[in-house]
Amino acid sequence: MDFELNEDQQAILEAVDRLLEQHAGPTRAIELFANNTYDSELQQALEESGFSNILNDMAMEEGKLAGLEAALVVEAVARAAGVCAIGSQIMLAPLLTGKELTDQALEGPVAICLRSQIEKPVPLRYGANAKTLLVLADSNSDDDLEVITLGDGDMESVKSNFGYPMGRLVNTSVSGTKLGADVASKVRNWWRLSLAIETVGTMEAALNHTVEYVKQRRQFGRAIGSFQAIQHRLSLCAIQVEGSRWLAREAAYHNAQDEAVANAAAFAIAAADKVFGESHQMSGAVGFTREFDLHVWSMRLHTLRQELGGLGGHRKAVVAARWG
Amino acid sequence: MNINFSKQELAFQTEVREFLQDYNDIDGFLSQGPVWPQVRAMFSAMGERNWLALTWPEEYGGMGKGHSYEYILWNEVAYARAARNPLSSGVVAKSIMRYGSDEQKQTFLPKIRTGEVHFSLCYSEPEAGSDLAGLRTKAQLNDAGTHYVLNGQKCWQSYAQDMDFLWILARTGKQEDRGRGLSLFICDKQTAGITVSPLPTVDDDQLNEVFFDNVEVPVAQRVGPENGAWAIIGEALADERHIQFPPGRVRRDLEEMVDWLNAQGLGDDPVIRERMAHLVSKVMEAEILGLRVLEAMEKGRNATVDAAMNKIVHTLTCQDIPRMVLDYGGPEALVNGYRPEQIWRQSIMETIGGGTSEIMRSVVSRQALGLKG
Ligand SMILES: Cc1cc2nc3c(=O)[nH]c(=O)nc-3n(C[C@H](O)[C@H](O)[C@H](O)COP(=O)(O)OP(=O)(O)OC[C@H]3O[C@@H](n4cnc5c(N)ncnc54)[C@H](O)[C@@H]3O)c2cc1C
Repeated sequence: MDFELNEDQQAILEAVDRLLEQHAGPTRAIELFANNTYDSELQQALEESGFSNILNDMAMEEGKLAGLEAALVVEAVARAAGVCAIGSQIMLAPLLTGKELTDQALEGPVAICLRSQIEKPVPLRYGANAKTLLVLADSNSDDDLEVITLGDGDMESVKSNFGYPMGRLVNTSVSGTKLGADVASKVRNWWRLSLAIETVGTMEAALNHTVEYVKQRRQFGRAIGSFQAIQHRLSLCAIQVEGSRWLAREAAYHNAQDEAVANAAAFAIAAADKVFGESHQMSGAVGFTREFDLHVWSMRLHTLRQELGGLGGHRKAVVAARWG
Repeated sequence: MNINFSKQELAFQTEVREFLQDYNDIDGFLSQGPVWPQVRAMFSAMGERNWLALTWPEEYGGMGKGHSYEYILWNEVAYARAARNPLSSGVVAKSIMRYGSDEQKQTFLPKIRTGEVHFSLCYSEPEAGSDLAGLRTKAQLNDAGTHYVLNGQKCWQSYAQDMDFLWILARTGKQEDRGRGLSLFICDKQTAGITVSPLPTVDDDQLNEVFFDNVEVPVAQRVGPENGAWAIIGEALADERHIQFPPGRVRRDLEEMVDWLNAQGLGDDPVIRERMAHLVSKVMEAEILGLRVLEAMEKGRNATVDAAMNKIVHTLTCQDIPRMVLDYGGPEALVNGYRPEQIWRQSIMETIGGGTSEIMRSVVSRQALGLKG
């Protein structure tokens, strides 16, 4: 048993962190978000540095998908609040490249949703920027996947306050290539995994921001982090983040098996609400202002909570995976 | 025991509801800044009925009624989403009546009663939130003994951008005197040396920072004795406990969340219905604890613990109600301006402003349970 990252994994993490220092971070996220803009530069930088295709590239050498390595990259980008459809780009698109569909990489940004969310369109993460839309059946019992190339005007931008540029389908008659149940269930699992991982990176950053704050914020002549009322609750948050991280990494390490991903997502999504509440509470009034960066991560947690049927959807998937 | 309002009180409630029919669309409770002119007009209309002075003694032009009338008024106004109770007719006016000079009474009480002037509360500072007694804004008496000169910074002032006067807590004694070294001042916001600058908040509204740069405030604008502010602000807080967290707000929140879920076709889901039932209990808990506070005040009993319990329950309920929608509503719940997401973002502050939940819990544990430390 060894939870340590190996040298290659460590190197990947360091390299992506270096790239993110230049191309991401809360200040940039705030700037882009103010204009509901997508970070094409970050996407390009990740593509050029080879991170986008890490799942498949490493598979070529080792004969199996590099789920953990891909997860490390997604986690890091979420921690740095990258405004880029990183989950779908790194975890979903490569699954389809070179398969039944095309030998070209899918054109990103890639947005993803359930069939019913096309019939009655809802706001989608990166929807207004997406070039490709993946549509999954609502339930995995009749799974299928449609890959739709989006044209100008198919989507419209939707204003939201939850940290990601959002868009809604306006052309509900769009259609594309249908793929079978086999690839659909894979995409579903990797989507769930990427949600879990993005949630981990995002809530870790929110928690870190809060922990730093309670160390330096002084009231009653002492750091507020020295009060047990604060310490105990932040400890519980840290445990939740840690549990979420390792469940998600384990699911990634085993390349997105049904039960593991459903459980990782259910666990992380539940933790996200807890971390949101506590990090805002401990930050006091300053955490309610846009001056303090906490909102960059904390608000995103609620968008992540809504996808793939949300907490209820993930929990149903856990039960279905274990007991049918 | 009699957990009912009297006939007269119920008649007043009906009158308030009728009055509010003209103001049901203002929507100034959750976010006052954008609709301040309308809220101000409503306060003036209330002033015409003398409702801003319901509990004031008749000698100050008030109606001399019991606390229940204020409770009913502001509870209905909260339910109608029209506005929050103004500081001027509560904290400010009641402190002036108790501690103010005759001149202050003559200058301010008539204008407050008619809704002509409004105040912003300048207590908190960057370094003094929960620990208010640590505040540093200095008020130094000049050599001639005619003016105090204020220097320092306040922050997180609600609505300061729109108010006419500031109600300022400042240090006249030594820093180590903490609460015993503070005095209260009234200051026109237009006075030279005052700068108000916005702090945008995550609910798309704003708080403010207020800077004092050698601001000259005549001695006559100090309220109460020098270094005597701590008791005044404590009593002022106590005066307002029954109207600070009106349960009409959470009752309305729940109704709106359920309407939203029904409109999305989610209202029949048994899991969601169970959550609705839980929230009905929470709202009723907030209502009954709110009435406990009212009863304590009517009987002249110390309501500190009741109010702390009520604040904790009420404000957590403010957050639990929209949480139901964020748990079950799907991505549609995220669209800007929909009630659920608006209330979700706004309610973050409820457990912080007006004394945090942690401070309230300490009040309960110390004063109700006798746990020291
Ligand atoms: C929307 C809003 C409106 C406001 N309006 C006004 C206004 O009009 N005028 C004004 O003067 N002020 C206003 N305030 C400020 C408000 O009074 C303070 O936010 C509040 O007193 C808490 O202070 P703080 O934000 O500095 O948090 P801090 O005191 O820094 O607290 C941060 C965290 O530490 C915890 N903590 C602090 N001390 C302890 C302890 N002893 N034990 C355990 N935990 C502790 C707190 O509970 C909180 O979780 C407003 C605040 C908000 C959010």
